[in-house]
Amino acid sequence: MYRGEKKSIFYVLGLYLSSTLLLITTIFVSYYYYERDLFEHGEKDLLKKHTFLLTQQLSALNENSSERYKYPRFDEFESAIYDIDKNLIFSSSKDIDIANVKDNFFTKESNSYLLSPLTPYYFGAAFIIIEKKSKNLYILDNLIFIALITIVITLVTSIFLVNLVLKPIRDNIKLLDNFIKDTTHELNTPITAILANIETIDSSSCDEKALRKLQRIKIASQSISNIYEDLVYLLLNHKTSTQNVVLNLREMLHQRVEYFTNMATVKNISFILDAKEDIHFKADKKKMQRLIDNLLSNAIKYSYKSTNIRVVLNETSLSIEDKGKGMSEQEVKKIFTRYLRFDKSQGGFGMGYSIIESIVDEYKMKIDIVSKETQGTKVTLSW
Amino acid sequence: MVKFLSFFLLLSISLDASEFDKNCFDCHSKDFKFHIIMNKYTLKFSSEKRIKEAMFDYLKSPSLDKSILPLEYIQKFGLKEKSPLDDKTLREMIDIYYEKFNLKSKLY
Repeated sequence: MYRGEKKSIFYVLGLYLSSTLLLITTIFVSYYYYERDLFEHGEKDLLKKHTFLLTQQLSALNENSSERYKYPRFDEFESAIYDIDKNLIFSSSKDIDIANVKDNFFTKESNSYLLSPLTPYYFGAAFIIIEKKSKNLYILDNLIFIALITIVITLVTSIFLVNLVLKPIRDNIKLLDNFIKDTTHELNTPITAILANIETIDSSSCDEKALRKLQRIKIASQSISNIYEDLVYLLLNHKTSTQNVVLNLREMLHQRVEYFTNMATVKNISFILDAKEDIHFKADKKKMQRLIDNLLSNAIKYSYKSTNIRVVLNETSLSIEDKGKGMSEQEVKKIFTRYLRFDKSQGGFGMGYSIIESIVDEYKMKIDIVSKETQGTKVTLSW
Repeated sequence: MVKFLSFFLLLSISLDASEFDKNCFDCHSKDFKFHIIMNKYTLKFSSEKRIKEAMFDYLKSPSLDKSILPLEYIQKFGLKEKSPLDDKTLREMIDIYYEKFNLKSKLY
């Protein structure tokens, strides 16, 4: 998986899933409320019919003149009648209590209740409450089950879609990597040949003009060689055989600073190396060299002409500070993105900080970049 | 003690009944349809409190508006005369009347 691909997958998946889930939730909640309203409407209708039946019976009972009146009772429902001051007149159920009634229609403990006014007041009844066992609304469990299935299907389709969307990007990155791989392979032999031949030229047999030209060729070849090393490191996907040995960082720094001195001289830049003590660090020599080379070459690249690059090594840190164009806060945040270059006027492929980050992570170092535009950048590695 | 209380209760009921007979049957004959009047009051006023209040109000100052009887009936027999009973006695008689004839206690 390429760098950033995971992030893109999470973003796309998150967006797709959240929007789909929002839609599903909206539909399901609306459907649930619609079904509940329908259910309540049906219950209410039934209770109204029961109220009408009871009213008819009370009316008929009231017409008769008798010493005792048998309150109408029904199998389908229970009922109670209250006078206008809400005092109980008669109830066929102990559960009914007008004090608990807040709405005309409500459900409680699997019972439905309907409170209706009554006129004229048969037996003094101004209010009738009907209580009936309500059918249960079982759709919630089904809805949750369907929602879970839908979410699983959405998840599968979204992964498929993300792969579909990312395929062209993957192909392009693969193409770019292949191109770099081929180019790198072709560069290897000529670079080695140029560097080897420059080293073997007898400088005493050249005049001053030729020597200067040779020096320039050497610097250019070193730059190409650096890029080549970076590319090899990236193409092997950091899987080069690691041989961690105890390195003397002071010695290594001296070597690398000397190596880059020629390059720095072109811009009239000089190094101030503050590394007096031997500092030992266990790491792979090639990787450590790539790390230092990238930091130094970046410092040279972005330094103003005729300035100093200060390199300080101590027991727990290494800092490289240049006086150059620097970076904005936004640029510092994006600095580790591969192939990203803030200044197109400078050479390179934008791989330097990507390599730095991978090595720093591997050796559990901490990297701190402080940069001010037009003033310079200070990179500190601490361990 | 229980015997004494039972005796006292029976005495008070019989005294109440005789008071009601004395105060009400003086004017209304024995065949007066008390239960029909109670039914009409119940249909119109619903609760015990409101029924008793409406009866008291009507008996103290009878009027066409306050009467629960049909207009034809009043036109034929005329309005009832104002009750000669004092307020306390009248309320007691209404209480007895309600106890004897209310529809709520007849439901079972």
